[in-house]
Amino acid sequence: MMFRAALVDPQIVRASRGLWGDAARRLRRNRPALVGLVCIVLFALAAILAPFISPFDPYAMNGSSLDAPSLTHLFGTDLLGRDIFSRVLYGAQISLFVGVGAVVLALLIGGVLGAIAGGFGGRIDGVIMRATDVFLSIPSILLAIGIVTALGRGMVQLMFAIAVSYAPTFARLLRGSLLALREADYVVAARTIGASRMRILVRHMLPNALTPLIVQATLVLATAIIDIAGLGFLGLGPADPRTPEWGTMLVDARRFMQTAPHIVVFIGGAIVISAIGFNLLGDGLRESLDPKLKR
Amino acid sequence: MGRYIVRRLIAAIPVLIGLSILLFAYIRILPGDPCVAILGQHRTPAACAALREHLGLDLPLWQQYISYLLKTLSGDLGSSVVNSQPFLGEFLTRFPGTIELTAGALIFSIGVGIPLGRLAARKVGGWVDGLITGVSLFGVSIPVFVLGLALVVIFGVILGWLPTQGRIDARARFDATSGILLIDTLFAGRLDLFVDVVRHLVLPSIALGSIPLAIIARITRASVIEVANEDYVRTARSKGLKEKTVDNRHVMRNAWLPVTTVVGLQVGGLLGGAVLTETVFVWNGVGRWVVDAIENHDYPIVQSTILVFAVIFLIVNLIVDVGYALLNPKIRYQ
Amino acid sequence: MSDQHLLEVRDLVVRFRTHDGAVHAVNGVSFDLAAGETLGVAGESGCGKSVTNLAIVGLLPKPAGRVEGGSVKLEGRELTTLKEEELRQVRGSEIAMIFQDPMTSLNPVLRIEEQLIETIQAHREVTKEAARTRAIELLTAVGVANPESRLRSYPHEFSGGMRQRVMIAMALALEPRVLIADEPTTALDVTIQAQVLDLLRRLTEERGTATILVTHDLGVLAGMADRVNVMYAGAVIESGTTDDLFANPRHPYTVGLLRSIPRLDGETGGKLVPIEGRPPDLIEAPVGCSFYARCAWRTDRCATETPALLPIDGGKGPIVTSGPTATHVAACFNPVAPAEVAEGRPLPRSGGSTR
Repeated sequence: MMFRAALVDPQIVRASRGLWGDAARRLRRNRPALVGLVCIVLFALAAILAPFISPFDPYAMNGSSLDAPSLTHLFGTDLLGRDIFSRVLYGAQISLFVGVGAVVLALLIGGVLGAIAGGFGGRIDGVIMRATDVFLSIPSILLAIGIVTALGRGMVQLMFAIAVSYAPTFARLLRGSLLALREADYVVAARTIGASRMRILVRHMLPNALTPLIVQATLVLATAIIDIAGLGFLGLGPADPRTPEWGTMLVDARRFMQTAPHIVVFIGGAIVISAIGFNLLGDGLRESLDPKLKR
Repeated sequence: MGRYIVRRLIAAIPVLIGLSILLFAYIRILPGDPCVAILGQHRTPAACAALREHLGLDLPLWQQYISYLLKTLSGDLGSSVVNSQPFLGEFLTRFPGTIELTAGALIFSIGVGIPLGRLAARKVGGWVDGLITGVSLFGVSIPVFVLGLALVVIFGVILGWLPTQGRIDARARFDATSGILLIDTLFAGRLDLFVDVVRHLVLPSIALGSIPLAIIARITRASVIEVANEDYVRTARSKGLKEKTVDNRHVMRNAWLPVTTVVGLQVGGLLGGAVLTETVFVWNGVGRWVVDAIENHDYPIVQSTILVFAVIFLIVNLIVDVGYALLNPKIRYQ
Repeated sequence: MSDQHLLEVRDLVVRFRTHDGAVHAVNGVSFDLAAGETLGVAGESGCGKSVTNLAIVGLLPKPAGRVEGGSVKLEGRELTTLKEEELRQVRGSEIAMIFQDPMTSLNPVLRIEEQLIETIQAHREVTKEAARTRAIELLTAVGVANPESRLRSYPHEFSGGMRQRVMIAMALALEPRVLIADEPTTALDVTIQAQVLDLLRRLTEERGTATILVTHDLGVLAGMADRVNVMYAGAVIESGTTDDLFANPRHPYTVGLLRSIPRLDGETGGKLVPIEGRPPDLIEAPVGCSFYARCAWRTDRCATETPALLPIDGGKGPIVTSGPTATHVAACFNPVAPAEVAEGRPLPRSGGSTR
């Protein structure tokens, strides 16, 4: 085995393809993250394809009450004889829609606030930070409960309530990143060579500030799915009680635990798989987007 | 040290003020006529008049706020629209139940989480580490109430090992002074009831504590791994110290720090999760009370509960910060 | 001359297992250390000088790092086969180490007092008071003012130079026979560097402590070391007394190192001469001379055969491995001639082709 040095310039050549290229490559090798991706794809497919692959109408009460799983009803039936498998599929739609909506909304609200606070600094920063402190001092479920109680039940209200409970975290994250980056060596260097503030913001600061935000958003999506179900379980889900929202469906599960334990298993399982998916992916993203890791 | 505590207290004041403003505004921005919005189906002309007076809706806004502030500080946190009982009394009756539950969950999550994290860090990369990380992942991915339901099904319905409802056998009769049953049963000398209370606490504590357990295990593992690679640990070894000394005095003393912060933050999650857990386990605490209040549109209860929980959370975080400063001299002497 | 040195390292081999393969960090390093002498180890980052030290005291990062061959003898006692508990007793009391970065080498949450006392009590049966008294003695010896009150301080309350002094105090607390100093002043300001080095020299001379001083700064070695080993790619490629080495470097790498330092007595307007290229990736086992790719004196033989450390004057007598009469040895088939040192490149040799 020839010593490399003897033949060529001994530079270890492994081309870097920039932050995203490297991240994608590292992600591909990260097995848990791939498993997470599979879970997410399952979840998304269930949500998107629900109208096509659902064996029954989720509102149709054509089965007998609280049947155990069978070949016709893969997940069994609920109290009113509705097919649980179909309801789980349609429930994925709701979780996906409300969950993604809530996270996007939270990113917008929190992002804007965080950018203002981090960008301007000073008094404005102080005020915004105190405000986020206030919201962060309220346990997030209670905050969401309070908002839904006040605004009434409904999917948009639910989305808004969850968004408000996550927005402060995003605001802090972005603000923290921006403040740290302002003093970072390469930003100062860019300023020294005369780059404009806008250019610095866009080309240097934002790409670095956005990555923790993206990682956090993915992880938050996992919690959002869980929180949405939690609110549904408490009776604060979408207004129409027939809606196949996962948490709302579990209210029955509690009442009929003795006779129908299968409800908990399948609906709970759906929630867990979706949440695990986003958690795994988020962790994987966090590892692969960290430019300081050598591999 | 004292100066640090004072500084922290002062820093908490704007947050408290902001909180009071937020909750003050909460009841007043409910859409529609306050009478309808707040009293809902319980409204009567007399109740409406009383409400108007209580809220001082005819006064200028800032006066209303001052009035609200004064009332809150003096313990008048509103009354239920359902049964007209003042908030504070009702709350204090139920609060011990939530305290017990939260304490149980906290003990579970710390008592199991930290050792698991340490173990995973010691065997990093091995199957033990993988298993613990997997369990931790599962813990954060399962809703508290789903886990609660699953535990009820498995241990209550199928196996029948543990009780799944309430805090104590419904037939028990004894003197309950503090409301914290663990203490009361001991004081009353009823060891059998004490055991019964503990048995009732097991499943709800596991359910509620599952998420903090997962997070604490994770952060402990990460912290220990990071500290183990620090230069001063290498120095400690090079001095010929026993491995146990290195582990306890040098690694853990530093690894505790981020864990402490996280534990404080988890208390907020516990308070929120208690709401769900108490519903699943029919636990007599503030959580269930709030859920009932939600169903009955009993806004004053909801509003004041949020206020009290937020204040408790702030106090807990203050204590945690002080604890952190005690452990980390760099913060103390700034 | 006794037939046994204080420290004898023979053919030490250290490998690290990584995802990309095994890194051959140390490839057959041998040297001796006599009581009381200061051995300097020079070389660029990654040449294996720090790893060698860690291997001697058994502090290689587990589980990746392993000693895969060779022996380390302290006063005739083999260290590589010792059980962990026995090795632990050697560390700190017989062989002590000080590290590069004083900012991170002290536990931030413990007072200096605790860190000094624990060192003493780990190896001696003494009361806390006795240990404390000793700690005060040590702090005084390293030049810390107000030692009683400063004992209660935390590391972050000291400056970098003071912290390094505390490290020295901790290292010398048990009067070790050997002190290994790994880049002790690299992280310090230049003015503080001089103070700390002076302190180190004085204390080790007073106590007769043998020192291995690792640094990439040749200027430091010139002032402190009795002998110098030059390392490259995990092996010692030249060794001799400091005077011999600086006056008469033979290995092309050593020559390159010396030429890359600006000299006060050099010609103005002269250029610094860096060594072209980079050190080899140690993932594969070296074949031939490890410096081949960057060597201006290379011959065909150098590509396939690994040169051994041999006396530069070709003498066949016994090689002296320590002390002021140490033999000047170099591992090179085509060493640099004295006239070529100043030029920095090979000159045409009389008689035609290279040897």
